Amino acid sequence: MDDLKLLHDLGAQLEHQPPPTLVRQRERLLDGSRRRRAPHGRIAGWWAAGLVAVATAFAVAVPVVLVAGGRDRNPAVVATEPADMSGALNVLLVGSDTREGEGNAEYGPRMADAGARADTIWIAHLPADRTTVTVVSVPRDSIVRIPRCGSSPARTDLINSAYRTGGLTCLRTTLEELTGLRLNHAVEVDFSGFKEVVDALGGVTVTLPLPVNDRAAKLKLPAGTSHLNGEEALGYVRLRRYGDGSDVARIKRQYTLVRAMLRKARSTLDDPGTLKAALTAVRSSVRTDLSVESMYQLATELSRARFTPTTVPWQPHPDDPNRLVWKQPDADRLFAGLR
Amino acid sequence: MITHPAVRGADSELVSASLTEPEAFAELFDRYSAMLYRYVAKRLGPDHAEDLVGETFLIAFSRRRSYDLIYTDARPWLFGILTKLVSRHHRKEAARYRALLRAPVDSAVESPADRVAAGVSAQAVRADLAGALAALPAKDRDVLLLIAWGDLTYEEVAQALGIPVGTVRSRLNRGRRKVRAALGDTNPVEEE
Repeated sequence: MDDLKLLHDLGAQLEHQPPPTLVRQRERLLDGSRRRRAPHGRIAGWWAAGLVAVATAFAVAVPVVLVAGGRDRNPAVVATEPADMSGALNVLLVGSDTREGEGNAEYGPRMADAGARADTIWIAHLPADRTTVTVVSVPRDSIVRIPRCGSSPARTDLINSAYRTGGLTCLRTTLEELTGLRLNHAVEVDFSGFKEVVDALGGVTVTLPLPVNDRAAKLKLPAGTSHLNGEEALGYVRLRRYGDGSDVARIKRQYTLVRAMLRKARSTLDDPGTLKAALTAVRSSVRTDLSVESMYQLATELSRARFTPTTVPWQPHPDDPNRLVWKQPDADRLFAGLR
Repeated sequence: MITHPAVRGADSELVSASLTEPEAFAELFDRYSAMLYRYVAKRLGPDHAEDLVGETFLIAFSRRRSYDLIYTDARPWLFGILTKLVSRHHRKEAARYRALLRAPVDSAVESPADRVAAGVSAQAVRADLAGALAALPAKDRDVLLLIAWGDLTYEEVAQALGIPVGTVRSRLNRGRRKVRAALGDTNPVEEE
């Protein structure tokens, strides 16, 4: 008799059927998966999300500042062949936390293999008269219907997964189907560019009520006014253990920093070299189908617009409190108002 | 489940889906926990099997980002993790095989006459096999049992253990030679 056959038979004699209690191990896995998700997915991603918001805001704000500061001083960005940018427009803004490349690795070693994720998804609606800009923020934990894109089949999944597997194109298609809006343009911001933008501006000035000494954010600063380079500015927006330690306080710090950057950008309007460097840094961290001319034109039109931020109405997912679904008919009503 | 199960054919798709939706990983458990349980219960007995299966999936989950999505079948990956866990219990495993040297065979056989004949020879064969398994170096035993008890192919064993297929073959041959030697090498049909 074949020795492998004999061994196989021995195995059959030694066999035990799985007991019903094996299901406890399944629960252990599910518990483990929930516990582990918190530090990696949620909390670690949080500061990145804020950072992306800052970078996105800055990418949008800088052209606005340039234009507001005086068009004739910037021959570099003067429109040559204006595209047709009239009428109502919807622009998809995505802030991603891709941390590929050496510049980013040191900020997220734990997430080095996580791939690109959309941390901030905004739909900016620009009405034809450009008096207001409505920015609708799409929660990234939304469970939505994702249409077939490329090799990925249609499915119901996290909206983030549309971006992760199908990139900007798939996210755009998904959102167009969900909202019924035509998304005329898309802007993608990589938050890593943030640091370079600050450096290109020659640093920013912030005032701190308390001294900072935070190893996690790699930041040590005295109380009072400090001048931050790109590295320190990044640490500043990452800062968690400061003040009351809340996310709300951190978001405030992030806006403080954006304002500081805008101030700095305005003050450099007389210095074409600095401006050009800052613009180049912004440009390299932003991917978009908008031409520089179109961005410039939009910025001109929007320089006096009022920004109205809002969020897609949502409610917790019935099967998973960690996920959410869009609340109907409220969500449809919101988007109908933007058509 | 939140996601449509229909669109998830391959194991690799489940692993990939679990990156954004950790619960998807539970479906891998549903697919393979019984298989892994049977395998590890053969090697270590039912007492530790349950815990080791649970441990295997927890480790797999924590390493799911490094899973190579080229491999649509996750079995080799899971067996590889389980094999490492089993190796921590090598003393228990050897003791189990030694116990088989003495234990009576209780397999069902038709007639009383068969029973005596089959019982005697099965007992003898079982003792020889168990003795050979207990004496095998761990590396050879892993390969031999992944094939004989885990029903993996050579390629799958290579993938599970992270070794070349040629190494799988040489370890398997060495293991089988020793098993045959323990069986007395009596069957001429087996000579290759």
